[in-house]
Amino acid sequence: MRRAGLRTRVIAGFAAGALALSASMAFISYELTRSSLLAGRERATMRATAYDARIITASLAGDRPDVLAVLKTLDTGGNRRTLVRRDGVLYTRNTDPGAADAVPAALRRLVEQGGQGAQWVRVDGVPALVIGVSLSPTTALYEIDYLRELDQTLRTLAWVLGLVAAAVAAAGAGLGWYATRYVLRPLRSVADAAQGITDGDLSARLDPAAEPDLARLTASFNGMVDQLARRHERDRRFAADVSHELRSPLQTLAASASVLHRRREHLDERTALAAGLVVEEIERFQSLVDDLLELARSDQPARRAPVDPHALARRVTEGQSLDPGLVEPAGDDASRWLVDRRRLEQILANLLDNAIRHGGGPVAVRLTCVAGTGRVEVDDEGPGVRPADRAVIFDRFVRGRSAGARGGGDGTGLGLSLVAQHAKAHGGRVVVLDRPGGGARFRVELPGVVP
Amino acid sequence: MTTDPTWHDAWVAGVLVIEDDDRIRLSLMLALEDEGYSVRGVSSAEDGLLAQRAEPADTVLVDLMLPGVDGFECIRQLRRDDDVPIVVVSARDDTHDIVAALEAGADDYLVKPVAVKELSARLRALRRRGRAVLSAVSTLVFGDLEILPEAGEVRVAGAPVALTRTEFRLLCELAEHPGLVLTRQQLLQRVWEYDVGDERLVDVHIGRLRQKIEDDSRAPRRLVTVRGMGYKLAR
Repeated sequence: MRRAGLRTRVIAGFAAGALALSASMAFISYELTRSSLLAGRERATMRATAYDARIITASLAGDRPDVLAVLKTLDTGGNRRTLVRRDGVLYTRNTDPGAADAVPAALRRLVEQGGQGAQWVRVDGVPALVIGVSLSPTTALYEIDYLRELDQTLRTLAWVLGLVAAAVAAAGAGLGWYATRYVLRPLRSVADAAQGITDGDLSARLDPAAEPDLARLTASFNGMVDQLARRHERDRRFAADVSHELRSPLQTLAASASVLHRRREHLDERTALAAGLVVEEIERFQSLVDDLLELARSDQPARRAPVDPHALARRVTEGQSLDPGLVEPAGDDASRWLVDRRRLEQILANLLDNAIRHGGGPVAVRLTCVAGTGRVEVDDEGPGVRPADRAVIFDRFVRGRSAGARGGGDGTGLGLSLVAQHAKAHGGRVVVLDRPGGGARFRVELPGVVP
Repeated sequence: MTTDPTWHDAWVAGVLVIEDDDRIRLSLMLALEDEGYSVRGVSSAEDGLLAQRAEPADTVLVDLMLPGVDGFECIRQLRRDDDVPIVVVSARDDTHDIVAALEAGADDYLVKPVAVKELSARLRALRRRGRAVLSAVSTLVFGDLEILPEAGEVRVAGAPVALTRTEFRLLCELAEHPGLVLTRQQLLQRVWEYDVGDERLVDVHIGRLRQKIEDDSRAPRRLVTVRGMGYKLAR
């Protein structure tokens, strides 16, 4: 399972802490309120019962007293019910039919034995207090105090306290959210700076004064970027130096080779043969240096601009002394692509070159646009690429098997890896497929050619 | 319409090679002489400027990394004197260097190692650029901008403006298609005769042209950019 984010965890922690605190506070307040309310009520009821007991005892002093009449004289209010059991007969007011069943057996036994007691019961879902007093060996008084309002009050109180607890938990979560946002803000500027560096802006630095608590992070981040910038600059200068140091002697070689080539008829046979080798090898060396230098800087982002891909493909095809009619005419999809012109040009040139060297020459060049992704396909009718070779064919210095004999004018072994690099610079890829009807089909996908 | 097919044999152009590397200079001189050019070589910008003043060559090839006065300054000083075509042949392929050299006034930029055939093709293209292309029309007028192709003159509000051959040819190409957008690639083909070339050549030359014919080169009214397409000359 994926681990929840720091922020989620902090917010959850804040919420849980706030909930625990507020819930226990609510619980304690409820319990205190409840017990104090109930105790007060119990005392009041006890007093009322004692009062009633005195009245009833006085009223029943004579012979054959009317118990019911006595009961009716009692002021019991809306919540209290009075029962009198005398000589095994239970007297109660007519209006209280269910009251008789409310007295628990245990209490009755206690009272019948001459004692007195109080017990909390629940009658029809309403809590009630039953108090029993023995007035004489044959007479017992029970009073039942229904706590309907008190119950309602406690219920409301529980609701309110529950809501308050939930609100406090939510407030805790909100506080956590705010706190993490506040705490994570400096980290966001670190993230922004890192993103900027990823995008190639090596001048991005963090302000050490902005957040004293993060001074160490800021310092080490800036140190890292400095280091990166120095290394990047060193690499760039090294590449530039290598480029310069290789290109200068190559210029002498290229110019001298042209002189040799022009005068080959004046040379004796052996010298002409050797001169021919020198000229050819210089050309190969030159393209190798070009490809290597290109590869060294191909990790730079693509510089996209609108390009007519079909016109470009026709020009490149012509440039390789091929029939521009190989380029299949444009459909009704995008007539202009947003691509790096130089890279697309090299993709086409290298794929055509590959088809010439290893596929017996290209038979079709297709440029289509599917859902904003430009697709460049070059087909040949050669032997195709064996599945085992497909994984390595785009690696550096891998040459096709058909060129195992290493005939004259062999490639640099960098062409297809450059194609892969150029595709990658556009966020795309290159794959090699079987062409229906035999041969290989190289397909380059370049996303985002239509904005 | 303009070129004599035998010009290459009939006319031997003078090329001045300013290159501090002795071997490169010697090999370029040998190869260009084989191509039919009359070549002189010097090893510093100072010598090059002196040689060009004493006996002007038709085209100057210049390296950027020179001892003493560097290639950029050399181009600026050559350009101050006249509109001789200047081709940079440098091992540096950094965008900054290319743009800076073109802005200093170079007409073309080639990265070493350049094949002699290619170099020769560039020199021929440069030479052709000097010739009038619009012989049929005597004057083209775009508001207060006047182009006299035959005389090779351009006037803004009546005052003559000095353009290099490349700038002039670029302006003529745009003037030939009034109100029509020409892409950078089209301009590269027509002015520089490149099949596939570096579009920075066009952009920098357009910038230089604007500095000469616009009142405010940052807010061009005559030579306008059409985003994503190319350039056009507003009628």
